[in-house]
Amino acid sequence: MTSQQALSRREFLKAAGTGAAAVTATCVLAGPASSALASGPVSDSGWGMLIDVTRCTGCDSCALACKEANGRPNPTVVPSALSSDAYTFIDVRPNAGSAEPLAVKRQCMHCQHPACVSACTVGALTKSADGPVVYDSKKCIGCRYCQYACPFGVPTYDWDNPLGLIHKCQLCVERLAEGEMPACVSSCPAGALRFGRRSDLLVQAHARISSNPDRYVDQVYGEFEAGGTSVLYLAGVPFSQLGLPELGDQTISHYAEAVMKKTPVVAASVAALATGLYWLTKRRDLHLSEARVTLPQEDRHDH
Amino acid sequence: MTTNLHVEQPSSSAAVPVLNRRMAMALLGATVLVGGLAGVIRLLVGMGSTTALTDAYTWGIWIAFDFTLIAFAGAGFTMAGLVHVLHREQYHDAVRPAILAGLAGYVSVLLLLVLDLGRPDRFYNFILFWNVHSPLFEISLCVLLYTTVLVLEVAPFLLERLHLPVTDRLLRLLRGAMPVIAVVGVTLSSLHQSTLGTLYLNMPHRLHPLWYTPILPLLFFVSSIIAGLSLATLTYMGSTRILGLPAKREIVTGLPRIAAWVGVFYLALKLGDLLVSGEMALLWSAGAYSFWWWLEVGVGLMIPIALLLIPSLRHRPWVPVAAPLLLLFGVMMNRFNATMFGQILPPGVTYSPSLIEWLSTIGIIGAGVMAWLLGVRFLAIFDGKGSQHV
Repeated sequence: MTSQQALSRREFLKAAGTGAAAVTATCVLAGPASSALASGPVSDSGWGMLIDVTRCTGCDSCALACKEANGRPNPTVVPSALSSDAYTFIDVRPNAGSAEPLAVKRQCMHCQHPACVSACTVGALTKSADGPVVYDSKKCIGCRYCQYACPFGVPTYDWDNPLGLIHKCQLCVERLAEGEMPACVSSCPAGALRFGRRSDLLVQAHARISSNPDRYVDQVYGEFEAGGTSVLYLAGVPFSQLGLPELGDQTISHYAEAVMKKTPVVAASVAALATGLYWLTKRRDLHLSEARVTLPQEDRHDH
Repeated sequence: MTTNLHVEQPSSSAAVPVLNRRMAMALLGATVLVGGLAGVIRLLVGMGSTTALTDAYTWGIWIAFDFTLIAFAGAGFTMAGLVHVLHREQYHDAVRPAILAGLAGYVSVLLLLVLDLGRPDRFYNFILFWNVHSPLFEISLCVLLYTTVLVLEVAPFLLERLHLPVTDRLLRLLRGAMPVIAVVGVTLSSLHQSTLGTLYLNMPHRLHPLWYTPILPLLFFVSSIIAGLSLATLTYMGSTRILGLPAKREIVTGLPRIAAWVGVFYLALKLGDLLVSGEMALLWSAGAYSFWWWLEVGVGLMIPIALLLIPSLRHRPWVPVAAPLLLLFGVMMNRFNATMFGQILPPGVTYSPSLIEWLSTIGIIGAGVMAWLLGVRFLAIFDGKGSQHV
C-alpha cells in the first residue's frame, strides 16, 4: 500500500512538473503577445499625400524625381511598374469616356493599419507615428510575406541580387526629417500631388468634391479602404478603372491579428489539456494494472 | 537482407518490387547530389535567373512543398500525442518510425526555407527580432523549437544502440524527461500547424473564397493530424518491411481508421464553412478553382474516407496503403491550393517552376527520405517494448 501511495504521488509530481514546464515554455514563447497592436495607435495627424488624378498630366516628373532621391539606377529612364528600381510610377490606363488616357500615380499607400507591418516576420516594417510605413533593411530576412499581405502589390524584391532585399516607397522619411516634402510632391508641376496631415488632406479633398461635383466621383479613395490609408486619391472616374483594388473598410490583417493575440491562451490550454490527459490516461493504466505496481519504472512508463 | 525497399511507393507492396535497396539508395543519392548543386547555384546567383518567382508570384513550389512537408511531418507529434500523452499503447510500435520521419521532414523544411529566403545569411534574425503579430514569426520560432524537441525524441534511438556508461546516463535522463518533452512537442506543434493557416488570413484579397475562411487555423491543424496519422501508417508499414518484421494488423488498420474519422470531422468543417458563408455554389461555378477544390477534397478526402469506413471496402488488402496515400495527397493539394492554385492572381501573372526549383526540391526531399531509410536500418526503431509481433 505504501509503495502504491508513493508511486501515485510521484506520478502526480511528474505530471505537475510536466504541466508547469510546458506552460512556462509556451508562455515564454507567447509572452510579449499581449503588447499593443502591430500598427500601434494611429492618428489622423500623420503625414499623407493627396493624389488628384484629374490634375495629373502623366509627365513622369515624380517617378524620375523619386528614382533620384532614392538613389535608384538609371534615373532618366521612365519606369512602367513598381520594382526594386522604382518606388513610384505613372500607370497609364485607357479612359472610357475620353481620348485622353488616365494617368494614375502608384506607390506605397502608407496604410493606417498596414498588413505588411502585421505580417513581417522580423518586424522590419513599421508604421511610424508620423505616418510613413518604413522599412529597416537590416532586419529583413527576405521571406517576402509582405508582398502577399499587401493588397496593393507594393513591396518589391530585388530578384537579381543574391542577397536581395525588399524595396518600397518610404514617403521620403529622410527628407521629412529635414523639413522637406517627399521628392515626388516637390517635383510635380501640375499640382496633382499635395502633401500634408492626413486629416487636413481629407478636409481639402471633400472640399474639392463639393466645390466641383461634376469633376469628381464623390469618394476619397483611401479614406476608409482597408482601414484607411495615408495616401488618398481623387478621381473623375470610378476607382476600379484606375486599377485600385476594391477593398472593404476592414483592415486586411484583422482576422490574423485576432488569432495571433490568442496564441498564449491556445498554448496554455493545449499544454494544460495534454498534461491533464497524460495524467488521466496514465492513472487509468495504473488502475488497470494495480497488480503490476512494483514493476520497474521504465516498464511502467512505456508499458 | 532480401527485403526489398519500397517505402516511397508502398502501394506496390502486393506487386513485384521494382527497385532493390542499392538502386533505391543510388537513385536517392543522385537526387541529393543534383539537388544540392542546384541549391548552391541558386544561393550564389540569386533567385532572379534561377527561379520563375516574381513580385506578383513570390511564393512557389519551395513554399508549397515546405508547408506540405510540415503537415506530413505532423506524424511525429500525432503519434507522440497518441501514445506518449494519451497512452494508446496499442500503437506503440508505430511511434518511432513516425518521429524519425518527423525529424527528417522538419530538417528538410529548414533546408528548403533557406533556399527560399531572400537573405539566407540572416536566417537567424527571427530569433533576434520578434514580431508577435506575425504568423510567420510564430511558425519560425515553433519550428525551430519543435525540431529541437524532435532531436531529443530521436536521440534515444541512437543512444540505445551505443551502450556506453555516458550514453546510458543520458538515456535515463531523457526517459525521465520524456513526458515533458512529449507535452511540449504536442503544444509547439498545435501552435505552428494551426498558425500555418493563420498565415493565409493575411491574404483575404489573394486567396479564393473556396479556401479563405476565418477557420483556416483550425482546418490546418485538423488536416495536419490526418496527414500525420496517414504518414505514420506508411512509415510503420515501410519500416517493418525493411527490417523483415511482420506488421501488426491492429496498427495498420487502426491508424487509418482514426485518420478517416478525423477526416469526417474535417470534411464537415470545410463543407459547413462554405454553407454558412453561402459560398456553396463556388464548388461548381468557379472554373479552375472548383476543379482544384474537387481534386483536393473529392480525391484526397471523400474517396479515402469511403474506402476506410464502408464495410465492404475497408477489408480489401490494398486499402491500408491506398487510403493513407490518398489522404496525404489531399492534404498536399490543400497546401498547394492555398499557396498556388487557389491564389487570385493579377492579370497576366503566371508561374511555371524552373528546373532549379524542381531539382533542389526533389533533392532536399530525397535527402529526407534517405535519412529516414538509413535511420530505420541503423537506429533502434523498434524498442522491443510494445513488440510481440503478431
